Amino acid sequence: MLVLLLPMTLFLLLFFLLPAINLLGYSIQTQNAQGIIGAPLTLAHFAKFFTVDLYLRVLWNTLRISFWTCIYTALLAYPVAIAIVSARPTLSRVISLIVIAPLVVSVVVRAYGWQLILMAGPGGALNWLLLSIGVISEPLSLLYTPTAVVIGQVHVNLPMMVLPLAAAIGKIDPNLRDAARTLGAPWWEVFLRVTLPLSMPGLVAGVIIVFSLTAGAFVTPVVLGGPSALMLGNLIEQQIFTVFDWPFGAVISFILIFIVILLNTTLIRFVESRKFRRAQA
Amino acid sequence: MSLNLDRFRQWFLAVFVGGVLIFVMAPLFVTLAMSFSDSYFVAFPPQGLTIRWYQQILTDRYFLSALALSGYLAFGSTICALLIGIPAAMALARGRFPGRTILQGIILSPLIFPELVAGLALMQVLSAAGMVDARLNLLIGYTLVAAPYVVRAVTTSLLLVDANLEDAARTLGANRFVTFWKVTLPQIAPGVAAGAVFAFMISFDNLPMALWLADSRYSPVPLMLMRQLNSVFDPSIPAMSTVIIILALSGALVVERLVGMRRAASLQP
Repeated sequence: MLVLLLPMTLFLLLFFLLPAINLLGYSIQTQNAQGIIGAPLTLAHFAKFFTVDLYLRVLWNTLRISFWTCIYTALLAYPVAIAIVSARPTLSRVISLIVIAPLVVSVVVRAYGWQLILMAGPGGALNWLLLSIGVISEPLSLLYTPTAVVIGQVHVNLPMMVLPLAAAIGKIDPNLRDAARTLGAPWWEVFLRVTLPLSMPGLVAGVIIVFSLTAGAFVTPVVLGGPSALMLGNLIEQQIFTVFDWPFGAVISFILIFIVILLNTTLIRFVESRKFRRAQA
Repeated sequence: MSLNLDRFRQWFLAVFVGGVLIFVMAPLFVTLAMSFSDSYFVAFPPQGLTIRWYQQILTDRYFLSALALSGYLAFGSTICALLIGIPAAMALARGRFPGRTILQGIILSPLIFPELVAGLALMQVLSAAGMVDARLNLLIGYTLVAAPYVVRAVTTSLLLVDANLEDAARTLGANRFVTFWKVTLPQIAPGVAAGAVFAFMISFDNLPMALWLADSRYSPVPLMLMRQLNSVFDPSIPAMSTVIIILALSGALVVERLVGMRRAASLQP
């Protein structure tokens, strides 16, 4: 049996684990004028990241955009997941297909579609629509703002939130909702006191994926954010391709991985914690 | 009274979900609409109706070679991902050995690891090893991203198959390979197919890996499109995007027929 694991393990070791360790090792080494990386070991690159305003602003941008993306994705995903679980089979299948299918459409294409919609001036689709029905009299300029990045990321990540939520809500015993309703709870209270707490594992799974993917995003910040919404991924690309500063690129990579792993372990521990389990029971 | 409230809830849900579906489809439809616009700049609403942008891109060697490269890479990395992923999934689903869950975690970890960082790390190692063939490097990078999806899809299918059937085949004298080929594989075929199509589509649209591993001669579709966004402003971009959308959605329909998109795309078994 173990022989079967050999090709995959070897492949990951060679092309994933060792390269990752090697790259992270760069973050505490020194790059000389010839571009050769080695001794002496130093924490100066980390110090640089945490003392320069620009880098801290990019970190803050990344966290802020990822946070709001999670909030809005969850707000949009809950009703959709409830509809998928409770609608008639055909309707449910149509809704899930429409929501999930864009997952396989190129992120570049989807970000570009949002560029067309959010474009400043009367030529943007949203401005055109709002101007022609008279909701606004001056065109909005949404493109190249953090808001535009959040919109694009919500669109890209929505399926990643709907899927685990629908799975979790589908497992809730419908009798619990009926009982709450029979006892006189209004629908929003049924949601807050039955559906929300019992679907928490799905929500947490969704938040982990959406936050991780958004924190490491590259395409949407470039296409929709512009210079005002630079994120960590864009900073890494600049450091490697423009500045050729490998140790500093490694530092930013390290911080990105750290954020993702910290979020993963904290949230998974939260779902598995006894206090949370008791609250659910 | 309570009946009215229930009605209100139903209406609220229907309107909200309808709004979300419009939100989901809007960028795809706007792109589609713009691709037929008879103007030199992309601006809403589209002017006139023309298919000349399609005629232009379908004779554009740059676009066609990017499509061909992406197709080749997606096909190649799917095959590689299946070759290393199916055996690994067999071992993870059927094997009983210490450290199995940890190993499964490691094998699936590229799914949440920032792909941009994985690609950067890979580029460094490959260039240090003197590997300069961009196509081979892209193939390795894409396989790295696609393989965990195959492992996940196949492991999920294997857990639904009765392992006793395999034991019965072995007892009746079939060797491991025959057992896999004649008993296991036919039962997990939909899962394997879904994993394969998913791997193919993920590889077809891989930007984070391509960003690091491609060179000026070999640029896959998403990278080429991304570069075009900065230099081309006519509706040939929406036309290329529409071609990509149609290819992707056809793939999604295939997965839907095979096992259902919802199951194929779920991260949990």
